Amino acid sequence: MAKKIPFLILVPVFGLFFSCAFDVIRVKQEPARFEPDTSIQDAWKLAEDVEISLDTGYKRKLKAGTRWECIGKIEKGDVYRTKDQILTVEGSNIYEACIVVSEGQLVGFYLPANQTFSPLSSRKSLPIER
Amino acid sequence: MKVIKQIILFSIMGLLMVSCATSGPKYSEMANSTPPISGANARVYIYRTSALGAAIQPNVVLDDRVVGKAVAKGFFYVDCAPGNHRIATSTEVERELTFSLDEGQTRYVRLDVSIGFFIGHVYPNLVEPEKAKSEIENCHYIGE
Repeated sequence: MAKKIPFLILVPVFGLFFSCAFDVIRVKQEPARFEPDTSIQDAWKLAEDVEISLDTGYKRKLKAGTRWECIGKIEKGDVYRTKDQILTVEGSNIYEACIVVSEGQLVGFYLPANQTFSPLSSRKSLPIER
Repeated sequence: MKVIKQIILFSIMGLLMVSCATSGPKYSEMANSTPPISGANARVYIYRTSALGAAIQPNVVLDDRVVGKAVAKGFFYVDCAPGNHRIATSTEVERELTFSLDEGQTRYVRLDVSIGFFIGHVYPNLVEPEKAKSEIENCHYIGE
């Protein structure tokens, strides 16, 4: 009986720990002020697939041949959207995203519904085809 | 021991009954009779293909309004204004999806199930239309 007591205590403790752990994969976000700008009229296609590793551990692929259109900008760069594929960033929750490009490199994501910027820890070059 | 076996047996039977209980016409049967999107709205189909954890049927909340339940093998749709939206489900944790809708656009949200500590988690996921149409085909309409 004496040996069973710690076990009986440990079960709910682990239960609480793991149930809290379900919520820990958070997508890093910072507020972003989006300025829509249709006058930029910049659009391009991706020449090759681009694999992205999110900081949350999930992976995403920007598909070759998808057309990306500039819809505006935020402080971190220009915001591009595509209608050719769904792009989301994912942690415990899922957010539809646009890509943010600065100096030809992918620097992160703009989450329109949240009005936030989710940065990538390392920039990614984009094989652009105009 | 016999009692435990009976409890397990009844639990399994109960789950099977719940999972088989989804009624209503199939998506494939009512696709042609579904009314068009009204006015300047957009449409979102919400469906669940997985029978895993069929007894767990949390409310589906769209922008803080309950619009349906996450019933296994079931689907429903909601017409709403274009713009940014949030769909959430709650079991032992809340899971959410945020997405945008354009005017006249139809989008598909699948309710996936993952293992939780006490009960499963149901989380909404945005799905490409072509893939969604094939997945939703055998789901039953559970809307009003």
